[in-house]
Amino acid sequence: MTTAKITNPSIVLQLDGLTKKIGSKAIVDGLSFDIAKGEVVGLLGPNGAGKTTTMRMIVGLIGMSEGDVRICGQSVRTNFEKAIRHVGGIIENPEFYPYMTGYDNLKQYQRMTEGVTNDRIEEVTKLVGMQEALGKKVKAYSLGMRQRLGIAQALLHEPKLLILDEPTNGLDPAGIKEMREYLKRIAESEGIAILVSSHLLSEIELMCSRVIVIQEGRFVTARSIGETESPKQKVLTISMQVGNAGQAQEVIGQIEGVEVTQADSFTNRITIKLLHDQIPGIVAKLAAQGVAIYRIEEVRATLEEEFMKLTGGNRIA
Amino acid sequence: MRNFSGLLINEWLKLSKKKSFFVAYAILAVVFAILAFAFYKLSPDGLNSTVDFATGTIMLQAAGQLVPVLAVLAAAGSVTQEYRYGTIKFLLIRAQSRHKILASKYIVSVLYALTLVVTAAVFAVVAGYIVYGGGAGESTWTDFLSNIASLAVYSIVFVTLTFMIGILTKSNGAAIGIGIFSMMVGSLLVMLLSRYSITKYLLFANTDLSVYRSDAVPVEGMTLAFSIVILLVYMALFLSVSFAVFKKRDIA
Repeated sequence: MTTAKITNPSIVLQLDGLTKKIGSKAIVDGLSFDIAKGEVVGLLGPNGAGKTTTMRMIVGLIGMSEGDVRICGQSVRTNFEKAIRHVGGIIENPEFYPYMTGYDNLKQYQRMTEGVTNDRIEEVTKLVGMQEALGKKVKAYSLGMRQRLGIAQALLHEPKLLILDEPTNGLDPAGIKEMREYLKRIAESEGIAILVSSHLLSEIELMCSRVIVIQEGRFVTARSIGETESPKQKVLTISMQVGNAGQAQEVIGQIEGVEVTQADSFTNRITIKLLHDQIPGIVAKLAAQGVAIYRIEEVRATLEEEFMKLTGGNRIA
Repeated sequence: MRNFSGLLINEWLKLSKKKSFFVAYAILAVVFAILAFAFYKLSPDGLNSTVDFATGTIMLQAAGQLVPVLAVLAAAGSVTQEYRYGTIKFLLIRAQSRHKILASKYIVSVLYALTLVVTAAVFAVVAGYIVYGGGAGESTWTDFLSNIASLAVYSIVFVTLTFMIGILTKSNGAAIGIGIFSMMVGSLLVMLLSRYSITKYLLFANTDLSVYRSDAVPVEGMTLAFSIVILLVYMALFLSVSFAVFKKRDIA
């Protein structure tokens, strides 16, 4: 059963019925999914859904009760050292020995993994833009600098998989943006797979190519971001700002296959559902009837709305 | 193997890069300097030579007691500081088994204790030489060396105990507290219970091997070989518990 999947070389991370039980309560319950090379995947779920437990089981910080995690085909359970060799991680806040310099901290991790050269230290330092601060003691670092040093240590041994648990925790908006750009650049330049959990949904939306939603330790759904579904058959929701909403509603109401879901004569906004191909016709008709059009916008369900729908709101577990 | 020496270097640097690293050695220097000055001023009876001074002061009942205390302070932090700093998460997601990581920590804790023993011994001899400039006395270099050996054994036993407490409690304060408390109360306990023969199986009845040179054994019928076996059994127990717990523990 396992060998069949291992033969697929592009699978970097593979969860197979991963379960964590504390007492009789399953915190993570039979979770299975794969991540391929170069993918950036977000792990979503309400508080207490088991995101952190899942990520800590992947890197071996928490023991698994059942199932297994394979990284590049190596089992974390039975072959930990070989499996973890391919993983870099930041689990919650990046923490370092505060009384040592950034460089000394990186040297610590260099000594722990075979084949990490001094050139590699220099390379990752440059990648995260920390050349200047590397000689300073970590206790003098800002959170943003520690975050960058955290990325540097995670990349040091050229991992094939990055595990990031709430990597933007405690960062200000500028720090978050910076972090996101680093991660995107890294995924491209180093060609590695990234699994990231965050409670900032917009963050995940901007960073990931796929999200996996879990709730109460169970897999709920997976979906791609930036869908490839043919736009021609898709029913779109369009919001228009017009000169006169009442008139516009009358005009549009006569067209077949177009549904007016909302018309507000105070703001003169009208919301309609229709197919991609019908938009030019509507615009032409409205213009011909003398209805002024100020704006046409697509209304998209955000990941947040979808997330709420899937998990039934963010219940505190 | 190259890998493991890397771990040892890491652990040594974690100790030595701290500002407090030299404080332990400085304390020993100051204490022996004060002792030398006091002996020079008071010139007590029965102490006539460098060896007398060194042998007397390095004893557990004298300045030697500082060595295990300082060693315990460091051993307590070895694992607990990783929890405090949060670095345990980064430490345990490397291509190294938890057993190897813990072994490197324990070995460096013991090595550090031994450097304290050697430092204290050197200071004792130097201070003694400054006061007495050699001279002839009752003690021999063999006495001195055997006191050093006893001090080393005593220190290692309590380092091992403290190391285990650190792993079990994850608290630096608790490990230091229990380590030093047991050092002080242990010998008291043995004294109070010395008429029961079962007392000889207590760890604390066997930690000070220097008693076998003076024949003032805590409980009648004890021998050096007996104490060594008891100590080895306790150490094996402490280390088994340490490694088993550290291996299994979830880092949440």
